[in-house]
This record gives sequence, C-alpha cells and structure tokens, in this order.
Amino acid sequence: MIFKVSALCCPKINSYLPGILKQSLKVFLICAVTIFFLSNQTAFAQRDTTITLKVLGGLQFDLPRFAVRPNTKVTVILDNHDDMAHNVVFTKPNSRLKVVDEALKLGDKGAKMDYVPNSPLILAHTKILEPGRTESISFLIENEGIYPYVCTYPGHGYVMYGAMYATTKALPPLEKDLNVPEGQRLGTPNMADHSGHHMAPASPHPYPLEYPLLYRTFMPDCGPAAIAVALNPNESYCFDAGKCYLRYAWSGGFVDNTDHWKGNGNKLAKIVGSVYWKDETGFPFKAGKNQKIPTVHFKGYHLTKRLPAFRYMLDEISVSETVKLSAKGNGIIREFTFKNNPDVLFFTTGNPAGIKFTFSTGKYKNGVLEIPAGTARLTITSTRI
Amino acid sequence: MTMKILKLLSVAFLFWQVPEAKALAPKDSAATYYEVENIPLPDGLIAETGAIGFMPDGRFVACFHRGEVMMYSPKTKKWKRFAEGLHDPLGVLVVNNHEILVMQRPELTRITDTDGDGEADDYQTVTDDFGLSGNYHEFAFGPIADKQGNLYISLNLASNGAGIRPEIRGKYDSLSRPGRMYSCVPYRGWVMKLGKDGKLKPFAVGFRSPNGLGFDAEGKLYVSDNQGDWLGTSKLFHVEEGKFYGHPAGLIWKEDFPRVVPITLPVAKLDSMRTKESIQFPHGYFANSPTQPVLDNTGGKFGPFSGQMLIGDMDHKYVIRLLMEEVDGAMQGACVPLSFGAKMRIGNNRLVFAPDGSLWVGQNDHGWAGARGIQRISWKGQTPLDVMAMNLTPKGFDLTFTLPVDKETALELANYKFRRFYYEYHQAYGSKQFDVQDVAVKSVVLSPDGKKVSLELAEMKPGYVYELKAGDITSENGNKSLINRLLCYSLNRLKK
Repeated sequence: MIFKVSALCCPKINSYLPGILKQSLKVFLICAVTIFFLSNQTAFAQRDTTITLKVLGGLQFDLPRFAVRPNTKVTVILDNHDDMAHNVVFTKPNSRLKVVDEALKLGDKGAKMDYVPNSPLILAHTKILEPGRTESISFLIENEGIYPYVCTYPGHGYVMYGAMYATTKALPPLEKDLNVPEGQRLGTPNMADHSGHHMAPASPHPYPLEYPLLYRTFMPDCGPAAIAVALNPNESYCFDAGKCYLRYAWSGGFVDNTDHWKGNGNKLAKIVGSVYWKDETGFPFKAGKNQKIPTVHFKGYHLTKRLPAFRYMLDEISVSETVKLSAKGNGIIREFTFKNNPDVLFFTTGNPAGIKFTFSTGKYKNGVLEIPAGTARLTITSTRI
Repeated sequence: MTMKILKLLSVAFLFWQVPEAKALAPKDSAATYYEVENIPLPDGLIAETGAIGFMPDGRFVACFHRGEVMMYSPKTKKWKRFAEGLHDPLGVLVVNNHEILVMQRPELTRITDTDGDGEADDYQTVTDDFGLSGNYHEFAFGPIADKQGNLYISLNLASNGAGIRPEIRGKYDSLSRPGRMYSCVPYRGWVMKLGKDGKLKPFAVGFRSPNGLGFDAEGKLYVSDNQGDWLGTSKLFHVEEGKFYGHPAGLIWKEDFPRVVPITLPVAKLDSMRTKESIQFPHGYFANSPTQPVLDNTGGKFGPFSGQMLIGDMDHKYVIRLLMEEVDGAMQGACVPLSFGAKMRIGNNRLVFAPDGSLWVGQNDHGWAGARGIQRISWKGQTPLDVMAMNLTPKGFDLTFTLPVDKETALELANYKFRRFYYEYHQAYGSKQFDVQDVAVKSVVLSPDGKKVSLELAEMKPGYVYELKAGDITSENGNKSLINRLLCYSLNRLKK
C-alpha cells in the first residue's frame, strides 16, 4: 500500500517542489504518505459500482474507458446489442495484448472456453454472449491502476477494448489516452464547425474538394438511396434516387459524413447548415388528364463540369433534371427535359412559406403547374423571399 | 573457377561433417517463394478497400469506403481519381479502359469516362431493382460475369442490431423480422442474376453476408458466407439456380413459399431443404471472415497452383487455397492456408490477379479487425513443398504434393494427425465443434513417383470436417519443408 502510494506521489510532488526543498524530500514524502494513508481510511472505504458496457457496431464498446475508485466492488453488465458474438475480459494492467494472444493460441479449443485462456493475468470475464444477450460479472478492484478490458473473440481483441481506471485523479484527455482504441480516441475533425464560414472544410479524400460535389450517402428525411449535392461550399440539396425527386435544399454548408463513414454505416450523414426548403407535398409529378401517379425508375446521372443531371423515367417518359444555383444565389433553378411525353403532365409545388416559384412554361394554379403535352424543356425557379 | 569449386566443397564438407548444420541453413519458409510489396498510397486516402481490379491497359483500379474510385499506374506509380461519391462500393467489374461496373449500396452502376479526360462523367444505373430498408447491414457485393455475359450480385440480410428507416425502397414484408438477421425488402439474402435483357432475377437464396462471388475454371459459381446465425462456421457454397443454402430469412421472397416465419420451421425441415456448402472454414483458428474467391488463371505465373481458387480472410495473414473435387455429384473439398511470409497483412478483403500474374490484395478494417492498404504478392519462381491436392478415397485421402517427398518423413504415420468434428446447423450464432474425435491413420503408401501419399483412416464419416495437421514432411532431397500444414476437408459425401 505504502509503496503504491509513494510510487504514485513521487513524480508529482517532485515536479511541484521548489529546488531548495528537494533535499528534504524524503521527510516530506514520509509525511505525505502518512497523510495520504490516513485519509484513505475514509476515501477508500469499499464501495459498489455498476457499469453497463454496451456493444456498439463496428467492434466497439460504448465506453472506451471509465473510472472507479480503488477498493471498489465493480459490477459490469455486458449488453451485447451487436449482430456478432462478444465477451468482455478484464485484465491486469498492461496485459491486454498478452491475453488476446493467449486467447488466439487456444485455437480450436477456444470456442468451448469462451475464448478465455486460463491466465493469471485475467481478473474477470463474461461468457461469449450471443447477440441480444447480457451478462453481469462482479469483481473487486483494490489497487490503483489502469485495467484494460477487451473482447477476446477471435479477431476482435486488437480493436475492441477499453480501459478501466481505478483512480481518484482526473483522467488524461481522451484524445491523448493511448489506452483507448484509436477510433474512439481521435474521432475526426467536425466539419460542422465550419458552417456559416466560407472556409472550405478539409478534404476527407486523397484529393482536394471541388464543387459541385456529390455523395451517395444516408440522408435524413429521404429514402435510403439518397444523393447529396453541394452546388458550392454553401448551397446544397438532397435528391432521392429511389423516389426520383428533389427532397430539400439547404444553405450554410454541405454534409458531414464522419459518423456515417465511421462504424457500421448505420448513422446518417449530417446536414451542415440549415434547410430552407423541403418538399412537403411528396412526389411532384402526375401524368395525363387522369393525373395518374407514374411509376418511376432512376437511371443515373451525367456530370457536366461536375454538375449532375439526373435521369429518370416517369412510366415511358424520359426525364432529365439539373439543379442549378440562381444567378443571384438566392434560389435554385430546376431544369427539366422531357422525351416521349404526348400527354399533359402536372407538377405540384405546394405553397411553401418563404419560396416564390416561377416557370418557363405552363399554367400555374393553386400550387400545381400544368405542363403542356410535348413540352421538351421546363425551368422551375424557386426563389427565397 | 577453382575457388568456386573449393568453396562448394568446403560447404559440402561442413554439412557432411556436422549433421546439425542443416539446421543452420536458412529455414525454408513462405518468404522464400513469395515476395510481398506494399503499394504506396496517396496522401489523404483512408484505404478501406472495397473493390479492386485491373483495366485492360494495365492500370489498377480500387474502390474505397468513402466512395472514391482510384486508378494506379504500376509503371508511373501514380494515383489518379477516376470516380467519387459512391455509397460503400464493394465490388468492381472492369468493362474496358474507360468503363467499369461498380456495386454500391443502392445500385449497380456503370461508370464511364465518356470524354476521355481520365475521369468518369457518366453514372448509369444498371439495376437498382432490389430493396433497401436503410439497415446498415444491407451491403451489396459483386458483380461477376459468366461466360454468356450474365452478371451476378449478392445482397446481405439486415441485422437486428439496428432498425430500418422511416422511408425504404421496395416492398416491405415483416415476416422474417423475428431472428437476428432479417430480409424485410426483396431480395435480401439472395444471389441475383442480371440477364442481358437488363432484368434482375432472384437466382439462389439462403445467404447471410455473402461477401464474395467467383467462378472456378469450369464456370461454377462460388459464394462465400460468414459465420453467424444459421452458419456454424464460415462457408463457401457452390451456387446453382433455385437452391437454398441455409439462412432462412430470405426464403420469404421465394415463390410458393408459405406465409410462415421462416425461423419457426423445424430445423430438420430447413436442413432437408438446404444444399450444403462445398467447404467449411473452421472458425477462429483457420478463418474468421472469408472474403472473395478468385481463380488462379495465371497459367503458372503465380506458382504451381494455376487452375485452383484462392480466397482471402479478414483476420489471417494468409490467403486460403481451395482444393475442390466432385464427389457423388457434388462439389466438396479442403481448404489450406497459402502463406506469403511475415510481410503479409490481415484484412484481405479483395483479391485480383494482375496481368503479370502477381496477386493484388485490397485490405480493409472497416468495423472489423483487419488492416488498410494494398499489397502485391509475386511468386519468386521456386516451387514450394505444398499439398497440391487432397482427394477423397473410399477409405481415406490421397495427398498429392507439388514435389516428390522424402520417403522417410512421408511414410511416418505420426506426420498425419487427423481430427474430425461437425458444426451444427441451427439458429444460434456460430457453433462449437461437436463430436470431436481423433481419427487414427492406419496406413500410408507413397506413390512410385514420390508425389502422392495414400492415407487409410480408421473411420470415414460423412457430415464431418476432417482436419489434418501434417508434420514436418520434407522434399525428396530434404531441403524443403512442407510449409502449410493445416488442411480441413469438408466430408459431405463419401466416395463410393
């Protein structure tokens, strides 16, 4: 106990002491140790703590680290909500990799042993938990230290781990904590910080970002086949490549894919900036006098100077749609071309607040544009007012 | 000249005088036969490799997790962007020097550089005629083309580790939602065939996470799948039209399948419906997550295994060689590691042979243990001592070696340690090894040419994996050791 405390106190006291006092360091230390030891009587009385460790996708525990006080009975509930099987093994300080290697060496015996080797380096462990299962384990942590925890399922141990600190002190900054997996330690720069500024975000690719710029990604308020397009670093829109229509537009930035690219891909891309227009009326086209809702098929897009022109079918009608920024920058222009449209088409804009629509052709009434049969080109300009 | 002879003589003398001197000679190892080279990567690339290929002009093409398609010239060693903005591209098929097909999450896309500036400008949707619930686990793989020009892709099941999105693509059916992995939109859990008429049709069902499709030399389609629910261990299937391969969730999209929750069917019933895998990869110590099967079509430029298939694995520093044969009308066989030495990394997600016969490997560590980057493996020209073929006989196995073997070590019974076990087909995640038993080798006979041993085993039982741990068998002249010694034969059917 005394050795432990002095080992921990020495460097700290040493660095705080003025040089002249260092000669009497020994005396000082003994005092310090005594005071520390006495104070322990109350501060280190055994306590109970329960920690729930959830398994996130992408081989991560939700807690990359946590702290308990020394002399604690720790109860850990492992909650495996992943789609893979996992365990958690708590090891002695600095023993994670050794235990992971020992687990791998179990070879074909591993499965029967829950991939937990017979090792004096292990403090406690759960069984292998199938997806959806939980298990609770308890153990006593007496001494101060950094106790790794790790999933020893084959292949997981090198990435799926964390650190339990037994300490009364503040933890080191997360980003500098080498006991935490790199992904959870470093995170990635948050592009959202740049919103509203004209500074282009750092490129997440092996080339500089150029605009217009496009990502197929998971977007909020859109089907799963979404395309996010930035016309410039500040003006963006979302096209639904499943339902084939423009869903919304926003100002102030583009998207932050950090969370979507990280982990298992479940998270959506984040919109950077604020949405100023959203289609609230649903799929806009109706075909023929009977106003039939056409069957749509997405056909792809062509880039001209990086600007996409989307192609899709409305029944037998070929449509291309290009979204551009208006000359004043206060709205967007949607340029349509149609082929094989012998009947009238209807396009519903609705009456969204703060947007004024103008049209190159057709009759516009009550939020619906009637597009004459055979129209080859149509421009719809929506201006923010 | 005289000096040379003297030198040789003195070396020979040393070896003759000191029997242990053999041990002092550099140990025969995989690195003697293969060279592993790291391909330099461009700054700023997160090299989570989803797909790789070669253009007819020799450029290497690779797709990465953040949607980039990059071209690398092995001559100039320069990288250049070809396309961008894709959603988790996990497969590529090269069409010509300006055009590729890429499988991304939402669709199969034809990506073309129409103006010849080296960058793609047209992204044509070839097919998106399958469902997307927005569940993260709905990855899509392929395409590969058969000799007639039909394309094949495979569609992952969704995971109950996450839900689905408020808006989905395709018809929703909740019937298979109970269970770990589910198929709530068509045709999740299927291998699909895209005919030349452009229509995407369901081809075979019963897959969970089929991260790899490939054809063998005869045009048989093989698809890998990952250990999990209904997969006691990872497997490779020989996939034929209309068949069911074991994971029940996708069955709900099969025509005439009754309206029942698939996992409520008796396991025995499902078991009787399924077509068994050709190869099982024992979980953990052999493979954790097998990836893409490729045919060694190099005509010998990559060593002695031309005509055989290789497959990668996410967690092992080797690729796996597949030794398949037809037994009683079905394909089955053995898997054996093919080691390349210590420089090889893990995370071997994608494999492709270069025009020069070298093997390029694209590595990935996304959400899984692995590594990032690209490695090139080339054969140095010497033949290693390895098992060329493992063939079932009525009473045991024949092992054919790449080289004549040393009679003494080859005839030593202790050099062939067999175990057998089986993995259970059940709903639970993975399976332990059941009924594990050592199987005695009763006799070993060496062929007159010294290249084949015939092993007679105490018992041959169908439905088991026969695992062979070979000992230190050496080549005829004693200077080469058997390098890859773990072989696992999936004995589905006996040889009659």
